[in-house]
Amino acid sequence: MIVDQVIAASLTLTTPILLAAMGGLVNRQGGIVNIALDAKMLAGAFVAVIVSSMTGGWFVAVLSAAVAGALVGYLFSLVITRANANMIVAGLGLNVLVAGFIGFILNWVYDSSGTLRLPDVQLLPKFMPDFVSGIPVVGLALSELEPLTVFAWITVFTLPFLLANTRIGLWVRATGNAPQVARAMGISGRNVQDFSTAFAGFFSGLGGAHLALASIGLFNEGLTAGRGFIALAAFYFGRDRPVTTALVCLLFGFLDATQIRMQTAGLPPKLIGTIPYLMVLVALCIAGWRNHRRKAVAP
Amino acid sequence: MAEAASIGRSPLMDWFDKGIGLAFPFIVALVVAAVVLLAIGENPLDVFALMFAESFGTQRRIAATLSAATPLLFTGVATAICFRSGVFNVGVEGALVIGGLCAAFIGFTLPAALGLTLIPLAFGFAALVSAIWLLVPGFLLARYEVDEVVSTLMLNFVAFGITGYLVNGPLLSEISGNNVTPLVHEAAQLPRLMPPSTLHTGFLIGVLVVILYGVWARRTPSGFEAALVGQNKRFSSAVGISIPATIILVMVLSGVISGLGGASHALGQLHRFADGFSPGYGFTGMAVALLGRNNAIGIFLGAVLFGALASAGTTVQLFSDIPLDIVNIIEGTVMIFAVVELGRISLKRWRARR
Repeated sequence: MIVDQVIAASLTLTTPILLAAMGGLVNRQGGIVNIALDAKMLAGAFVAVIVSSMTGGWFVAVLSAAVAGALVGYLFSLVITRANANMIVAGLGLNVLVAGFIGFILNWVYDSSGTLRLPDVQLLPKFMPDFVSGIPVVGLALSELEPLTVFAWITVFTLPFLLANTRIGLWVRATGNAPQVARAMGISGRNVQDFSTAFAGFFSGLGGAHLALASIGLFNEGLTAGRGFIALAAFYFGRDRPVTTALVCLLFGFLDATQIRMQTAGLPPKLIGTIPYLMVLVALCIAGWRNHRRKAVAP
Repeated sequence: MAEAASIGRSPLMDWFDKGIGLAFPFIVALVVAAVVLLAIGENPLDVFALMFAESFGTQRRIAATLSAATPLLFTGVATAICFRSGVFNVGVEGALVIGGLCAAFIGFTLPAALGLTLIPLAFGFAALVSAIWLLVPGFLLARYEVDEVVSTLMLNFVAFGITGYLVNGPLLSEISGNNVTPLVHEAAQLPRLMPPSTLHTGFLIGVLVVILYGVWARRTPSGFEAALVGQNKRFSSAVGISIPATIILVMVLSGVISGLGGASHALGQLHRFADGFSPGYGFTGMAVALLGRNNAIGIFLGAVLFGALASAGTTVQLFSDIPLDIVNIIEGTVMIFAVVELGRISLKRWRARR
């Protein structure tokens, strides 16, 4: 029974990180390190709760969250590509700015500090037929499936194809990996980067919507709890490859799901929480050390 | 850039240029804030006037502003020292938190009989540990070219995790609830300058750090070399400046200053370490450094400005029910527009055309 629950919880907790990481890795392949995924997730979650309450429809809510994320991403991209802003500082600034705006609206419009609880919020539907819950081990996870989780995993497996075989996928990769070539081919690097940042915003918005609408149905200022940065850690560790990154996300989701259980085994959750970040540090060190050796060998 | 533009121009124009450059992000932020305030039907000028009065109106409010500015003096310098050498250290926040914990640890574990020597011990230990903390990414960057942005960003979260664990576990105070360490001994607390305000001697230490930074940056060979590395790496190594040594130097200095900042905040303000020790002083410090263009006077003014925003924000929320979050909106906008080159580029082009 515990195994069932851990699998189900891991899968659910992976989804928001996975969605943001898919967006972020496309963005990074396009040459932009998006440090503001967290802001877009927060914006997505906020919009999702409001729209879901207003319209009573989960699909509209999810779509609005994604569009809101994409819009924030697009504006953010303009600051980087058109006004030559440093992407790291601007990204950190955007995190502060978006949190400020949301807090302001929360306080002014809804007269609440921190948490937004609205009536008639429709959650993501669990669409699997009832009998699946009878399947051993994975039954619980299957019965908990909702559209966003399915969509996230479809993305994981279609994204490699899209990046390798479609025109826009090639453009994105060319812009990030070989800007000179891209320019020589007449690709507008700025437009492609704007697209990839909007794409990252779209997916982060979806991730935020999942956080808000998967089970709790409310918004909180601390809802993302740094998940945008966990997503960043995931695609850094997964070296921008969709499937590898997804596996890393799954590991982070598993850690998240088992934190509380590990506490009873004497492992403090706060320290477990640092594992994703330590993993990235180790990965960076290994990659740096390898490059260093390669350079030392080459004449 | 200013140097290039100043050839054949009157110094007055040059100063005007610099002034606009410094004020530009803040002006944009005020415009954004004004639009937000208009949207909720408040008169922005009234609000700004109230904020100004609440931050500089009376002696007490000035003390509150300077008290809020104190950690920013440290984090501003710690950030600027790296930025001007082209090292994108975003790990000041983590180093500050680690330093705060170390100082508090010394302050309540060593015997109270040590008296006033506790203070230098605590500051020294905090500076040492924070310096080692930032030496790690500094070394990785200098030796293996490991991207410092990501490594320092990740280290921040590691710092939050470690300190969060310690204040809830081994170092948890037995008498007072959750998430805090015991209070440091009275002898280890920094004296207050203007009671009842919380302004403490840490402010003076912060000012001293800013002055020393200014002297180092403008008047010493090492400071000059560090700036040169930031402007042109190839030229610097051609004239014999060691880039790895410079990177390590600025990262260690940044760690030392962050550690001092953490110690000052722990011993002067909170008298202990608590979870949520820093509400983002490291990130605000980045805004301060950018707004001050890594210049000592600029950093001081930037820190006071953000200190004023923080101290005024709280009372403005009390008196006029304008949400405190307006401060974050201003801070975020300043950060974004401090790195935007729109205005300066168009100015340059306009110059070139004439």
